[in-house]
Amino acid sequence: MNTDAATAASAERSGSLLNLEAVVVAFGGLQALGGVDLEVWKGDRLALLGPNGAGKTTLFNVIAGDIKPTSGRVIIKGIDCTELPARFRPRLGVARTYQKTRLFRGLTVEDNLYLAQTGRSGRHLALLRSGVDAEFRERARAMAETVWLADVVGVTAGDLSHGQQRQLEIGMALVTGPEFVMLDEPASGLSRGERERLVQLLLSLDVDITLLLIEHDMDVALRAAQRVMVMNEGETVASGTPDEIRVDPLVHAIYLGSEAGLRGADP
Amino acid sequence: MSPTGAAPGRAQSRRTLRRLLSARNVVVAAATALALLLPLFGSNFFVEFVMTRTMILGIAAATIVFLAAYGGMVSLAQYLLAGVAGFMVGNAVVAQDAWSKGLKLGWNPWVAVLFALAVTTAVAFVLGALASRTTGIYFLMITLTYAVIGYYVFGSITPLSGFGGITGIDPPGLFEDHPQRMYLALVVLSVLVYVAFRVLAVTPFGLALQGIRDDPVRMASLGFNVSLHRTLAFTLAGFTAGLAGVFNVWWNGQIDPTSISIGPTLDLLIVAVIGGTLSLEGAWLGAFVFVAANNYLRNLPLVDHIGITEARFNTIVGVLVLLIMILSPDGLAGIIDRIRLGLRRLVQLSRGSGAGPPEAAAGSAP
Repeated sequence: MNTDAATAASAERSGSLLNLEAVVVAFGGLQALGGVDLEVWKGDRLALLGPNGAGKTTLFNVIAGDIKPTSGRVIIKGIDCTELPARFRPRLGVARTYQKTRLFRGLTVEDNLYLAQTGRSGRHLALLRSGVDAEFRERARAMAETVWLADVVGVTAGDLSHGQQRQLEIGMALVTGPEFVMLDEPASGLSRGERERLVQLLLSLDVDITLLLIEHDMDVALRAAQRVMVMNEGETVASGTPDEIRVDPLVHAIYLGSEAGLRGADP
Repeated sequence: MSPTGAAPGRAQSRRTLRRLLSARNVVVAAATALALLLPLFGSNFFVEFVMTRTMILGIAAATIVFLAAYGGMVSLAQYLLAGVAGFMVGNAVVAQDAWSKGLKLGWNPWVAVLFALAVTTAVAFVLGALASRTTGIYFLMITLTYAVIGYYVFGSITPLSGFGGITGIDPPGLFEDHPQRMYLALVVLSVLVYVAFRVLAVTPFGLALQGIRDDPVRMASLGFNVSLHRTLAFTLAGFTAGLAGVFNVWWNGQIDPTSISIGPTLDLLIVAVIGGTLSLEGAWLGAFVFVAANNYLRNLPLVDHIGITEARFNTIVGVLVLLIMILSPDGLAGIIDRIRLGLRRLVQLSRGSGAGPPEAAAGSAP
């Protein structure tokens, strides 16, 4: 208790939002994460890069509480969340999206965005509608506009196009009014124009919102982030600003293949 | 300038009215009116036997549909829960000096109803809490296990089930010797259950339940307690099944362990499947088809020559279910939906507008 209070106090001082301490995840004999340390500050924009199988999504799932680490600690806002199940994360202001779209496919866009808010509010057991719901509905429609879904608010999520589903996926994370947003490959499967819109959306987020981003599209990742961490085989191999990462030969070698060059990152 | 202030309100109420007057609601309202007027022209046998049983089975099957359509849980424990309510009523109302078995508490029948519903709800909560961590085929298997366990529990705790069952269970004075009243009460209860489930679907609770049906992982990451939600939905369905169970035992006048065995449990699932497990109306439609087949098949030409045994009836119902499943996985309600969409398209074609409605394709998507 005492140490927790001390950690919380020091976290408050340093403005640290998330701390990972020597996180190890092993699936049987396979070590997906081999002792990852990570500190994310308030207002940070951090991108995680790395080839498939590098452990990016596993790291995401550990932070989000979907996977319990084999060892190590996950501290969010100074609170040790290592053992807390995923459903307690929203109370700490954490919101996430999924690499593979996870929507309520039988419900409309508006209902999806509405439900995303009720979980945190504790209103979800209510049998009656109230003024709070009107507020949630309003915010749901406003968010639909933000993620370019204003003209399909009444459409069932399962009937949306792939691009629209990805937009809704992000909208559902943002509509909760989060302090810490984790986006797992938001640009996957999007067209060039849609990716450009996505980058603009990410850049337009409130400066207080902390962003952790997994992205295969280097262009999106390096433009949206202020800080980049490169992972390979469950370990951090490089970190720095986007400019430093652009020229890091090690990153070239493991992530892009030595000859590939930085496609899309050149001016 | 006063009309401008009133116009949005009026437009909204007109929109609400138009939404309430959908084809679906009009058909349901007409069917309800017909059911309420039935005692005026239907034969006693049809009203007091066929339709009364239809309503009881319909309410019980509606709880299966509610859990399946909104919660994504196919439960085989609903008939057991109805049976729990029935046994509780039986034990509570039969008088000490009656020539019957069971606990013979001799309570007031209405107190007995409250007691039965309380016990059933509590049992449903416990069973639901245990099953709520599973989905799909595992949930089905666990609830099937409940049904089997329930049968053996009542079969072996003989003070509760009175060896061969509890007989001489009288309904309250209101319904005693007034089978038509019981039928009308069941129609009213059916409407209440139907409306309650439909309204529930648009409440925060109901929407969250549908969210859990679609993606429990996402719901958990949004802060929802998924298993508590499933448990509460199961408890509500259990309470409703208990209501059906109370009327069932009043109507039968007796209950024994065999009446909640695997046979009737599966019959109730068949009722839900015939009607369509994704449509609430289908529950009563399926119940009617099932009960009508049960009562009238023997009168058909040829069948009346060879007679109909339980095995033969089951064969016919099996073929019927097979046919419906081949024609439409959504049961009779699905077939009706398709005919309705087909007719609408036909009308549109005849008007020469060409393209069919976009929601037609969307509606048939799984």
